[in-house]
Amino acid sequence: MSAVLLIEDDDRIRLSLAMALEDEGYQTHAVPTAEEGLEMQRRQPADAVLVDLMLPGMDGFECIRQLRRTDDVPIIVVSARDDTHDIVAGLEAGADDYVVKPVAVKELAARLRALRRRGRSASATPAVTVLTFGDLEIRPEAGEVRLHGEPVAVTRTEFRLLCELAEHPGQVLSRQQLLSRVWEYEIGDERLVDVHVGRLRHKIEDSAGKPRHLVTVRGLGYKLQP
Amino acid sequence: MRRAGLRTRVSAAFAVGALALSAGVTFVSYELISNTLFRERERAAVRATYFDAAAVNAGLGGSSPEVGELLQSLDIGADRYVLLQRGGQWYSRSAGPAASNAVPTALQEMAASGEAGAQRIRRDREAALVVAVPVQGDAVFYEIVSLAELERTLQLLALVLTAVAIMVSAGGAAVGWYVTRHALRPLAAVAEAASGIAEGDFDTRLDPDAEPDLARLTSSFNHMADELSRRLQRDRRFAADVSHELRSPLQTLAAAVSVLNRRRESLDERSAAAVGLIADEVARFQALVDDLLELARSDQPVHLEEADIGLLVARVLNSRNLPGDLLHTDPGTPVDWHVDRRRVEQALGNLLDNAVRYGGGPVAVRVGPGFLEVDDAGPGVPDEARATIFDRFVRGPSANARGGGDGTGLGLAIVAEHAAAHGGKASLGDRPGGGARFRIDLPMR
Repeated sequence: MSAVLLIEDDDRIRLSLAMALEDEGYQTHAVPTAEEGLEMQRRQPADAVLVDLMLPGMDGFECIRQLRRTDDVPIIVVSARDDTHDIVAGLEAGADDYVVKPVAVKELAARLRALRRRGRSASATPAVTVLTFGDLEIRPEAGEVRLHGEPVAVTRTEFRLLCELAEHPGQVLSRQQLLSRVWEYEIGDERLVDVHVGRLRHKIEDSAGKPRHLVTVRGLGYKLQP
Repeated sequence: MRRAGLRTRVSAAFAVGALALSAGVTFVSYELISNTLFRERERAAVRATYFDAAAVNAGLGGSSPEVGELLQSLDIGADRYVLLQRGGQWYSRSAGPAASNAVPTALQEMAASGEAGAQRIRRDREAALVVAVPVQGDAVFYEIVSLAELERTLQLLALVLTAVAIMVSAGGAAVGWYVTRHALRPLAAVAEAASGIAEGDFDTRLDPDAEPDLARLTSSFNHMADELSRRLQRDRRFAADVSHELRSPLQTLAAAVSVLNRRRESLDERSAAAVGLIADEVARFQALVDDLLELARSDQPVHLEEADIGLLVARVLNSRNLPGDLLHTDPGTPVDWHVDRRRVEQALGNLLDNAVRYGGGPVAVRVGPGFLEVDDAGPGVPDEARATIFDRFVRGPSANARGGGDGTGLGLAIVAEHAAAHGGKASLGDRPGGGARFRIDLPMR
């Protein structure tokens, strides 16, 4: 049984979501503030984190940033706010996905499964394959990325996105293809892809503003090249 | 008839004014110049004639004057012609055609009575002047002076003046066009700003110092833009607040109901039925809130991007668990469309949901240049429902009959709004062989 940390200040939502998630087979730790959430994750790391954005004290964005400093755990924002600004800011802070309330519990469970599935595939058997793109090395089985020989810390979603592109070297993958392969969305928000690509560039490019490896192909999508 | 534009009218007025002015000036100056020139010429001709007449007079006083020789001895140019009438007989320098015909009778009579005179005539279709001077012995000396050269000069002058008048009036029109362009330039800025605002750029303002004469227009325009953007912001904030306030309790309801729903088997029959009802209503409420918020935001500008329409339709079909072979693409349909992907996906999805809910399921999705069509297997839409079918909160009759309308009544309204946001439209037709055919037209660019 996998554990989920739920950070939600609204008592009724917290209680009902915790019950519903437990029905779906998740062991749920539900806390009302970001501070308690961070403390809980330190003491007893969960396999996924669900976080609201509007929280008393530390807000959700800061909470995600703090979690990301030490943790590559899948983070899903569950917010009633659906304007572009909040969605992009939440993803840029380091969230892997963003769902807008009210979300059906089945849908939430499906999102969690999708995130965890790629988590598992990333940490399988020891390294055999090494995909090399110039000074960038990717070991899909080991879940490792190296730039100039130095290991780079990427989240599971970023790693999965990178592997998807690395397995098709030089080939353009559309945002929709990446959405369905990495996030398992049939119809989803392309900003997920764009923000994750942006985050990846900060990690695997010498200059994120002038990417050499992970390049945008205007009107088509993204590709990875040496 | 369409009224001519302000610029055209102002330019025309300038042209007409310039034409009137230049025509007046031209006419007056032509008259003055031609009168002066004719007078000068006449005076010169008369003076020359008197001079010649004096010579002839002296010659005639001799013992046996040979008139022909006398006339030959006169020093005249090519444009003058001399005649002498004596005792009813005409004498001239050469035996050419009788030039005497050219001398008007009135002048002859006047000269016969001993008075000198001059008269303008036309000879061989050319202007000429006849000067008559009585000389001794009842003779009259005539000189015919051709004015052809003067007339040609005046013709040329008239031509030049006409050309100048035309040019001046064209110049007037050009000045009008130029001046109005300058005068209307601030208005063009206003028009540009207004269309910017209409397209959703609410930061557009006019520079109040740019045109002091239009300060009032500028300030009231900016005031209007401020007011509009404030109201719009208030509306959006309200929608966002409503959204947030509705979404939070709905989240609790959705989660709690799913907990209950999972335990329906352990409930007694009545409770289980009640839970089922709540679950359905919560789902519908959820859809209603989403649709209402979608409509509240539908006036926002579209976010256009290239999208592969075939893949888009395939995705939407797949998301509805509908078979992909429903899609038929007309030959000549472009692959990539310049559309707001999310909105087109939602509009098509709503049409498919509509077909499933009220039309016995979709039988085909047809894609052609600039349009999408969804055919269903239902009975078609009755005439009385057609006019309002794209209105808000209008539901299909089959749903009413069943009494279990699980739609929000907003689906087709959203389709219409999304089509309109693209500058296209949604419409309803009939599928050959029965059934409804909903169509979305999107402008191709």
